[in-house]
Amino acid sequence: MIELGALALRLALVAAVYAVLAAVAGARLRRTDVVASSRAAAYAVNALVVVATAVLLRALLQHDFSLEYVAAYSSSTLPTQYVAAALWGGQQGSLLFWTLLLTTMSTVVHLQNRDRNQALMPYVTTTLMTTAIFFLALTVFVTDPFERLPVPAREGADLNPLLQNYWMMIHPPSLYLGYVGCSVPFAFGMAALVTGRLGDVWIRTTRRWTLFAWFFLTIGNLLGARWAYEVLGWGGYWAWDPVENAAFMPWLACTAFLHSVMIQEKRNMLKMWNMVLVLLTFTLTIFGTFLTRSGVVSSVHSFTQSGLGPFFIGFLAVVIAVSVALLYVRRPLLRSENEIDSFLSREGAFLFNNLLLVGIAFATFWGTVFPVISEAVRGIKITVGPPFFNKVNTPLGLALLFMMGVGPVIAWRRSTARNLRRNFTIPIVAGVLTGVALLGAGLVGNYYAIVCFSLAAFVIATIVLEFYRGTRARQALMGEPPATALVHLVNKNRRRYGGYIIHVGVVLAFVGIAASAAFRVEEQRTMRAGDTVEVGGFALTYKGMRQADNPHVASMLAEIEVARGGRVIATMFPEKRFYKRQQQPTTEVAMRTTWREDLYLVLGSYDQESGLMTLQAFINPLVIWIWIGGVVMVLGTVVSVLPTAAEQRALAAALAVEERGLAVWSE
Amino acid sequence: MYRNRRFIVGALIIVVAVGYLIYTGVRETSVYYLTIDEFLSRREAVAGEGVRVAGRVAADSMQWNASTLDLRFRLANFAGSGGVDVTYNGVLPDMFAEGRDVIVEGTYAHDGVFRARTLMTSCPSKYEAEVPKT
Repeated sequence: MIELGALALRLALVAAVYAVLAAVAGARLRRTDVVASSRAAAYAVNALVVVATAVLLRALLQHDFSLEYVAAYSSSTLPTQYVAAALWGGQQGSLLFWTLLLTTMSTVVHLQNRDRNQALMPYVTTTLMTTAIFFLALTVFVTDPFERLPVPAREGADLNPLLQNYWMMIHPPSLYLGYVGCSVPFAFGMAALVTGRLGDVWIRTTRRWTLFAWFFLTIGNLLGARWAYEVLGWGGYWAWDPVENAAFMPWLACTAFLHSVMIQEKRNMLKMWNMVLVLLTFTLTIFGTFLTRSGVVSSVHSFTQSGLGPFFIGFLAVVIAVSVALLYVRRPLLRSENEIDSFLSREGAFLFNNLLLVGIAFATFWGTVFPVISEAVRGIKITVGPPFFNKVNTPLGLALLFMMGVGPVIAWRRSTARNLRRNFTIPIVAGVLTGVALLGAGLVGNYYAIVCFSLAAFVIATIVLEFYRGTRARQALMGEPPATALVHLVNKNRRRYGGYIIHVGVVLAFVGIAASAAFRVEEQRTMRAGDTVEVGGFALTYKGMRQADNPHVASMLAEIEVARGGRVIATMFPEKRFYKRQQQPTTEVAMRTTWREDLYLVLGSYDQESGLMTLQAFINPLVIWIWIGGVVMVLGTVVSVLPTAAEQRALAAALAVEERGLAVWSE
Repeated sequence: MYRNRRFIVGALIIVVAVGYLIYTGVRETSVYYLTIDEFLSRREAVAGEGVRVAGRVAADSMQWNASTLDLRFRLANFAGSGGVDVTYNGVLPDMFAEGRDVIVEGTYAHDGVFRARTLMTSCPSKYEAEVPKT
């Protein structure tokens, strides 16, 4: 069986190479049969990778410890769902999983475009399959998931206990879907560059793919934060760790791309910029995979020792070199057909939003790779920590929040004073009032947080106003009752109103992040059974220690009685676990979540002899709104991804123009 | 062309702002990141400054007082030799143990003791950092 998996990967590599060669040759020679064979090869690559993945999954589920991967990342006592999750728990498996997602998406793209985009498709195939070749080559030649142990192990080393958590089961697949999804718009962008068909067809064709990728990147980031919050037990959800930054940077670039394509669709501008952004997004996804896989930044070992590093850097260098060369050659065709008329216009607002997003991405990139750069330049590693990222990204993030209120409602081309008054008077008043009210309520000390809340009120007011005015207009025009008018309003322009809903979600997340960053309360106390500690209005009484034991883990649970205002409101059990297979302790946080705050308890340490227990208690305000914001973003994305008739017509029209051009071209 | 120039100025303002934030951010928050051997060879030079040092917890060097949360251990190189005494007060990270690779951040004083403010276990990439086969 194992040989079948290894063979499938090798055949997939061969098929992918054929797909690239046939696609290019077919397009050059205008031989549709050759192009068709490249498509067939791409399907075959997908099928073979599915076989390889199935073989590895089967080996995991059957606990075949003669396989190095299975022995390294699972064990016979590991619960089945985590055995399956071990498929992406280790390096080889996660690269295989990447390839699986990529080739599956390639299949979907080819099916969707069977009869469309005839000119672009061969180069889409080329780009996707070249990426597949890279990952297949890694799994075949560098880190083979099907490597056998010289002597089969009797038992596996088990999955890292930190990964044995349900958030960790869905976080990596979600993030990978996001990463891999970005290669589709990139592939179409490259095809547009190669063929010189630089209209908006490639953008309209991939709009949904971009949203899809953005959606999963968003969820992936939030799930990662949620996982860190629940599992790592240091009281927070985001530490600007290189691995977190690796997921955050493509999200930023993808968000910028998602916005700037609208300018190209509406005004035929920013063509070059869009190409740069799609290239940036794709390279950041590859770079992100590289960061998580090579440990180049966080590792104490130097870069050259990392087995995968040079391959990733090489691939990135090729991608960037080819893309930049194409951009240079196509420069005349990418010139804008229009100019921006005024700062005070939607184009201007979007451009600044883009610059801010890219600015944040750049600052994050710089902070992440700074140790590597300083070592290369000055021969000594210098590192920056969370304070750097907070210091740089907080003002940029707030400026971005402001633009989020301005961008969607400011007029195209040039705003008149009347337009500005109409759209911004109420929101500005709402923002200022919020700020004044918060200061009046005695919430002084952290001005960034207060600015954030004021801006949040400003943005929400612009959005509410949009919904209100749109609904009123329909009521007046169609004589519909308010609820019907609202539903029809959203339905008529799902993309726009879905976007607003996403913005509401982002605002909620901003509020949760600002509140929990600025007003968090933290207390650490060593206690004996019976002791009570007061933290931010809660009285926490340590009642005693409980023990539990099973073949997989042993655990200790501190019983903590929580009282507020003299009334007992909960009993919580912060826990220390000891994973026997790995001889490793882990911390299991106990949490009590309300709309206002999370009470977050960690069992810091316990001394059996003296009976002393150290409790860490955190009160994190408004954290739940980050996750609620995430859910709202999901809803908004669902609304905006559903196609409307008008949009289908726009794509059909753009394609028709394209096909006519093609007919002329082939005569 | 005039309009575009105005836009380039606007864009430049943002670029300069980002650059300025990064520049001051790096200046105010960066610390040296040294391996224990590098640290030992220049410890007098970095005394009193914030510094991050990577090394390995020496065997049989760990003294841990669970009631006061006082920790003392010897940070040695990967061969287990040399090293500096480190003190720390606080809850131990789960992965902390003798023989493990750790990163300490804090200041070294001329009395020969490194006072750590933070203690990181060496896989801060919680997902999985590649362990080179040596």
